[in-house]
Amino acid sequence: MKRKETSQLRAFWNEFRRVRFGIVGLVLFAVFVLIVAFEPLLMPYRDANERWRDMTYWLDSPRNALPVWVNWFSAKDYAVAEKLEATSVTESQVGTLRMMTMEFDYDFDYERPPTDFQLVMTLTGNASLQMEVIRPDGESLNYQRSTSSSGTRELRISIAQNLQDKVFRLASPFADPDVIASENPETIDAVATMFAVAGPSMLRNTSPLQGTYTCRLTVALTGEDSQLDSAHVIIAGGVAGWMGTDASKRDIWSGLIAGTKWALLIGLLTSFVSVAVGVVYGVVAGYFGGWIDSAMNRVFEIFLSMPLLPILIVMSAVFKPSIWTMIIMMCLFFWVGPVKTVRSMALQIKENTYIEAAKALGASHRRIVFKHLLPQLVPYAFATMALSVPSAIVYEASISLIGLGDATVVTWGQILQDAYASGAVLQGTWWWVVPPGIAIALMGMTFAFIGFAMDTILNPKLRTR
Amino acid sequence: MDNILEVKDLELHYFTQKGVVKAVDRLSFHLKKGETLGVVGESGCGKTTMATALLKMPTPPGRIVGGQILLDGDDIMPLSENEIRRRVRWERISMVFQGAMNCLTPVYTIEKQMRETLQQHRQMDKAETAERMLKYLNLVGLSEDVLKRYPHELSGGMKQRVVIATGLFLEPKVVICDEPTTALDVVVQAEIINLLKSLKEELGLSFIFITHDLSIEAEVSDRIMVMYAGRAVEIGTNEQIYGPQGSAHPYTQRLLGATPRLHEEVEELSFIPGTPPDLLDPPSGCRFHPRCPVVMERCPHDDVWVREIEPEHMVACWRC
Amino acid sequence: MYWRYAVRRILYAVVMYAIVIFIFSALFNAVAETTQIAQITEQVNAEVRGVQQASQMQPEDIQQWREDRRAQLIQQYHLDEPIVSRIFWRTLNTLTFNLGQSTQIRSSAGENDVWLVIKERIPRTLILFMTAVIIDVLIGVWLGLRKARKAGGLMDRTTSIVTMVVYGLPSWWLGMLMIMIFAFTFPIFPSGSMHSTPAPTGGFANFVDLLYHMALPVIALVLLRFWGRAYITRNIVLGTLQEDFIMSARARGITERRVLYGHTLRSSAPPIVTMSLLALLASFGGALIFEGIFSWPGMGNLYWVAVQQNDVPVLMGNLALTTGLYIAGLALLDLIYGLLDPRVKVGGKA
Repeated sequence: MKRKETSQLRAFWNEFRRVRFGIVGLVLFAVFVLIVAFEPLLMPYRDANERWRDMTYWLDSPRNALPVWVNWFSAKDYAVAEKLEATSVTESQVGTLRMMTMEFDYDFDYERPPTDFQLVMTLTGNASLQMEVIRPDGESLNYQRSTSSSGTRELRISIAQNLQDKVFRLASPFADPDVIASENPETIDAVATMFAVAGPSMLRNTSPLQGTYTCRLTVALTGEDSQLDSAHVIIAGGVAGWMGTDASKRDIWSGLIAGTKWALLIGLLTSFVSVAVGVVYGVVAGYFGGWIDSAMNRVFEIFLSMPLLPILIVMSAVFKPSIWTMIIMMCLFFWVGPVKTVRSMALQIKENTYIEAAKALGASHRRIVFKHLLPQLVPYAFATMALSVPSAIVYEASISLIGLGDATVVTWGQILQDAYASGAVLQGTWWWVVPPGIAIALMGMTFAFIGFAMDTILNPKLRTR
Repeated sequence: MDNILEVKDLELHYFTQKGVVKAVDRLSFHLKKGETLGVVGESGCGKTTMATALLKMPTPPGRIVGGQILLDGDDIMPLSENEIRRRVRWERISMVFQGAMNCLTPVYTIEKQMRETLQQHRQMDKAETAERMLKYLNLVGLSEDVLKRYPHELSGGMKQRVVIATGLFLEPKVVICDEPTTALDVVVQAEIINLLKSLKEELGLSFIFITHDLSIEAEVSDRIMVMYAGRAVEIGTNEQIYGPQGSAHPYTQRLLGATPRLHEEVEELSFIPGTPPDLLDPPSGCRFHPRCPVVMERCPHDDVWVREIEPEHMVACWRC
Repeated sequence: MYWRYAVRRILYAVVMYAIVIFIFSALFNAVAETTQIAQITEQVNAEVRGVQQASQMQPEDIQQWREDRRAQLIQQYHLDEPIVSRIFWRTLNTLTFNLGQSTQIRSSAGENDVWLVIKERIPRTLILFMTAVIIDVLIGVWLGLRKARKAGGLMDRTTSIVTMVVYGLPSWWLGMLMIMIFAFTFPIFPSGSMHSTPAPTGGFANFVDLLYHMALPVIALVLLRFWGRAYITRNIVLGTLQEDFIMSARARGITERRVLYGHTLRSSAPPIVTMSLLALLASFGGALIFEGIFSWPGMGNLYWVAVQQNDVPVLMGNLALTTGLYIAGLALLDLIYGLLDPRVKVGGKA
C-alpha cells in the first residue's frame, strides 16, 4: 500500500510539472522564500521590523519622497536623498578652546531642489557653533548658535525649519519686489529658494542653481569633556529609496520586504492549519457516518452561516488581538472550506472494496483513515491550501486597513492602513498605495497559479472515480 | 443480398497526448435488410466507438480517418456535418444508448425532449407530434403520463423504453442498440428483448445489437460479428457461431467456452489468459496472437483480415 | 413538493440565525454589558439633574432616588440575573431587532436607536451589492460559455491566466487605485458617497446622480470578480458537455446551438448558480471594506465608523443584521437551486 501512495504522489508531481503556470507559481514562491531568507541583506534599513513606528529611526529620511527610479523617466530630475560625510576635517587649539572645522560638499545637478537640507551633529558638553552654506554663485547663509549641556545629544539644523528667515533675507536683494511684499519667511519654500538661481524668480517659480554647495561647520568647544562626536549633512531629496518614503519618512521598500515574511506566515499557517482541520473533520464525518456525521454536520452548518469578515471585524474590535490571535481566529472559520468535498470523497472511497477488505483483515479505524483515506486526499488538500493562502492574506489586510490590525508588526496591510489613514489616496501618493497592493496581488497570484494547476490535474481524476 | 448498411475499411483513431490509438482498424461488415447483426467483444474492443463512427459522431479526440459507410447505397462519409445532422442522424440511422440512466437531459420533461427531436426533423405541429409520440410510447408499452415527467422520476426500465421509442419514432432504417439491457435486472431485460424483437417484425427494422453478454446475443441476433482490439475477427450466422459445429476463430471459441451453460455440464470454465491489448501500442500482426492458444509462426508477423471460409462465414485467422 | 422544500429551508434559516445570534450574544456579552452599564449611569445622571431641577429634594433623598432608579433600570435590562439568563435576554432582544442605543452614532434623522441607524443603511448596501452581482453574473456566465465552447483555445487560456492573476487582489485596493486615477488624476467620477451635495431634486436627475456615484464602485467590484465566475462556469459547462445526455442530444440531430444553450446551459444552471452565489456571498465581506473606501453610506461603511468611534452597540447590531442578510442570502440560493433543478423541484421517483 505504501508504494501505491508514493507512486500516486509521484504521478501527481509528473502531471503538475507539465502545467506551465504551475511551475511559474512555484518559481515565484521560491522567490518569496528567498526574500524572507535574505531579508537583512535586502533591507536598507535593517531595523525596520522593530522600529517601524519609532519616529526617531527615520529622522534622516525625506517625507513622501518618490522612488529613485522616477528619475529615469522624468525630464526634470528630482534630487536624490543623500547622507554626506565631511570632505575635510580640521582641528586646532586656540587657547582653552578647541576648534573643529568640518566641510561638506554637495553636488547639486538636478532640476528639482531637495525638500530639505539639514546639518546633523552629535555633541557632548558645551559648544558654540557656526554653520555656513556657500552657494555656487558665492552667496552664503550664516547661522550661529551656542549650546551647553552635560550630556550627549543630537542637534539638527534644518533649512526648511530653522533657517527660513535667513533664506528670505538672502533672497531679498534679488527677488521680485512684489513677491517679497506678498510673501514672508513662513510662506516661502526656503529650500527651493536656497537652491534657486538668484534673480527675480528666486522666491516663486524658481529655477535650479546647479553646482557645488559647500557647508562649513565650525565648532568651538569649551570644557574638558566637550566633544563633537559626529556630524553629517542630510539631503532630504525628492526621491529616496527603491520605493520612496511615506508621510512618516519610512522607507517603503524596507517595509515591503519586512512584510513579506508576515504575508507568507499568515497565509501558510492559516491555510495549513485550517485545511488540515477541515480535511480531518470531513474524513471523520464521512467515514464514521451515522450520528457522528449528523452531529458534525450540524456544527459545520452553524459555522457556514456566519459571514467571516464582519465577525472578524467585530471580534478584532472587541478583543484587540495580536497577529497570532488573529491567525487563530481566521483558522476558526477557514476550516469549513474543504469539509463538504472531503466528506463526499470519503464517502465514495469508503464504498471501495479494499476498505472492506482492510476491515475484514482487522485493521483499526485509525489505520484505515490514516493509511487509506487520508493519502488519497493529500493532492486535494494541497490544492485547497494553496487556494486559501491569498484569502488569509487579504483578510488580514482588510482587518488592518480598518485599523484593527496588530500595529506592532509590519504587514502589507498595515502599510496600506497608514497610507489610507494619512490620505495618500487623496494626495496621490501612489508609491505608497500601489506597491503594497501589488505585493499582495503577486503573492495571491503565486498561490493561485499553484492551486489552479493542482486543480486542473485533480478534476479529471475526480470525475472518473 | 439487400444490404441496408455496408461498412468498408472503417478507421477511427483517437489522437491523444500519448499517441494515436487505433480504436477501429479497417473494419468491414454489412447489415442486411430486416436482420439483426449482433456485435460482441470484450470491454474496450471498439464496439461503442464503432457505433459512434456509424453516426459520424466520434468522441473527441477521435476522428474518422478512412473507410466508407454506405447507407442504403449512399456513402455518408463525404457528407458535411450539417447534412448528416439534418438528414442522416436519427432519420436514417438512430441509436438506442447504453445505460439509459444518463442519456436523457435531466432538466427537460420527456415530452419536451421527444417533441424537440421530432420537430428538429419534421415539420410537425403540436398535435401531430403528440400523435406520433403517443403511438410509439404505446408501442413500447408506456402510457402517456410519462410525457409530463422528468427523467429522474422514471425507473430504469421505463427510461430504456422511452429511449427506444425516441430511437424509433422517426422510423429510421437502421437502429443501433448499444448495450440496451446492461443496467437492467433480468426480468426487465427479458421484456426489453422481446419488445425489440416484436418491433423489428412490426416495423421492418434492421438492428445492430451491441452487447458483451453472449447469451442475449444468441437470443436476438441473426448474424454475429466478434470484435477484438478494434478489428473484426469473425462474422457469421447465429448457427455458425453458436451451433454445434463451433466457431472458427480461437478467440470466439474461448469466449464461448467462458460462458456457463444451463443445459450442459461444464467441468471447468475456460478463461483467456492475459489482458486485452493496449491500443496505443498493439501487438504486431494478428492482435490476438499473445493470448492465442494455437498461435503459429506466421501470426505475429502478418496482419490478418476477415476472409470468407464458407458462405456467410468470415474469419480473420491464419489457421483457417 | 417544492413548497414543502421551501418552507423547510426558510425555517431552517431562521433556526440557524437564532443559534448564531445566541453564539454572538454569549461571545460579546461582557463588552456589551460594560457599555450598557455605562449608558445606564449616564441616563440616571441626566434624570437626576432633571429631578433636581424640578423638585427640591434633599441630597440624601437624591442619592436614594439615584440608587433606586439605577437598580430599576438594571432590573429592566435583566442585568441582575445569572449569566445564562442575561445571554438569553440579549439573544431575544437581538432577534426582535431590539438593539439598544448607540453611544455616538446617529442616523441621518438624528436618532440613536441602533436599529434605526442600521435600517436606513440596508437598502444602500443592497443597491450597490446587487447591481454588482447582477452585472458580474451576466458577464461571467457569458464569458464562461464562450470559453467552454473553445476550451483550450487562446482566449480560454489567457482569460484563465487573468483569473489567477487577480485571484489575490483585494477589491478595495483596486477601488483605491481607481479613485486615485479616475477621481483625482482624471476627474471623471466622484470620489465617494452616494449623492452629490446638494443632491439634485427630481426623480430622474436624482437617479442619474445615483448612477454616477455608483459607477466607480460597481466597476471596481465587477472588474475583479467576473473572471472567477467565468472560470467556474467554464469548468461546469465543460463537465456537463461530457455527459452522456449531451452526446445523446447531438445524436438525435439537435442543433449545436440548442445543445449548448438549451441542454447544456440549462443543466449546468443549478451548479453554476450555487457556485456563483456562494462565491459572491464570500465576497460580501470584502464589499463591506469597499464601502468605507468609497464613503458609500451603507452597512459596510457603518463598520468603519463604529470601529473608529468605538460604538459597541452599533457594532453588535450591525453584525447581527449583516449575518441576517447573509443567512437570508444562503437560503435564497438554495431556493433558487430548488427551482432550477427538477430533481429537487419535483422530487423523487414515480
